[in-house]
Amino acid sequence: MMTTTALWRNQIIIGLALVNMAIGILSISTISTPAHAITAEEMLANPELEERARNLSKQLRCLVCQNQSIDDSDADLARDLRREVRSQISAGTSDDAIIDQLRAKYGDYVLLNPPLDQATLFLWLAPLGFILLGGAIVVMARRQRGAAIANELDAAERARIEKMLASRDSENGPKT
Amino acid sequence: MSQMRLSFLLPLVAFGILALVGGMALYGTLSGSRDPTQLPSVFVDKAAPQTNLPRLVQTGSAAGNNISVTMFQGQPVLVNFFASWCAPCRAEAPALEMLSKRVAILGIAYKDRAEDTTAFLQQYGNPFQAIGMDADGRTGIEWGVYGVPETYLLDANGVVKLRHAGPLTRGVLEATIFPALEALGS
Repeated sequence: MMTTTALWRNQIIIGLALVNMAIGILSISTISTPAHAITAEEMLANPELEERARNLSKQLRCLVCQNQSIDDSDADLARDLRREVRSQISAGTSDDAIIDQLRAKYGDYVLLNPPLDQATLFLWLAPLGFILLGGAIVVMARRQRGAAIANELDAAERARIEKMLASRDSENGPKT
Repeated sequence: MSQMRLSFLLPLVAFGILALVGGMALYGTLSGSRDPTQLPSVFVDKAAPQTNLPRLVQTGSAAGNNISVTMFQGQPVLVNFFASWCAPCRAEAPALEMLSKRVAILGIAYKDRAEDTTAFLQQYGNPFQAIGMDADGRTGIEWGVYGVPETYLLDANGVVKLRHAGPLTRGVLEATIFPALEALGS
């Protein structure tokens, strides 16, 4: 029994499922704009160390900006943090140790990628959850549509309806 | 039929939950009970960073030329990062003046020149027991300072009890600073 309202219902379900999946996919992808605030005199002479500094700077949040790394930002604090990163690298500190030091001072907020731990588990798994949920809804909706098509009249039912229609026609047939 | 109803309701329920969570977060922000710009400092309930800075006013004796947080061991102390170039620091000057009657205040002049700091203190008053010069902002980074003004309250053992980023307004004093001072018995 597939009525028009049921069809509409299916359309709505699929629409919602697609929105659901779009939320999931959007939250996975990140948009980054290339912009470099770093000045020549800040750079380290050794290109290998400078590469490390750049790499680290891209992972560290400019805390006074809106979603910019310290590599991208012109803010004073970003410049100070870039200088701090470079002086630590020159002093022979490892990348992980530098990150840990800054985390100890500014908290996890200084990291542009939040670490995967108990507090952020939901944050990391939510996009995947949305995609799975959306997929499940699409599958369920399709299955129902298939079931509705399979639910056609068989020969016996058809014959019964023909008979009922015929008897009705003879009862209320056009008056002569 | 019941399965169809379930699959129809499921996205609606999911949407309802999302809307509820989002609405609650928005309500919290709009009603002022949650300020997204105020992030908790990682130092709260931890020892304040070791700090050793040259004094604004050099005393001449080698021992007295530097300030540190340990100078205030045994009493609560307010540590205030400020700068002469910082407009909100001027705005909070009266609040610091008032607080200086209740608690010792250590001033840290953040990325400032000594002559500018001196001129600033002459104009807006000096509520500080001691002033350290953080000329390159490194001490600020040690403390996790975002920008000036920023204020930390330390207990008698040098443990950070409270941090406030931004100027100390009357509202901030009444809502956070005074209760925290009272809790420390000051």
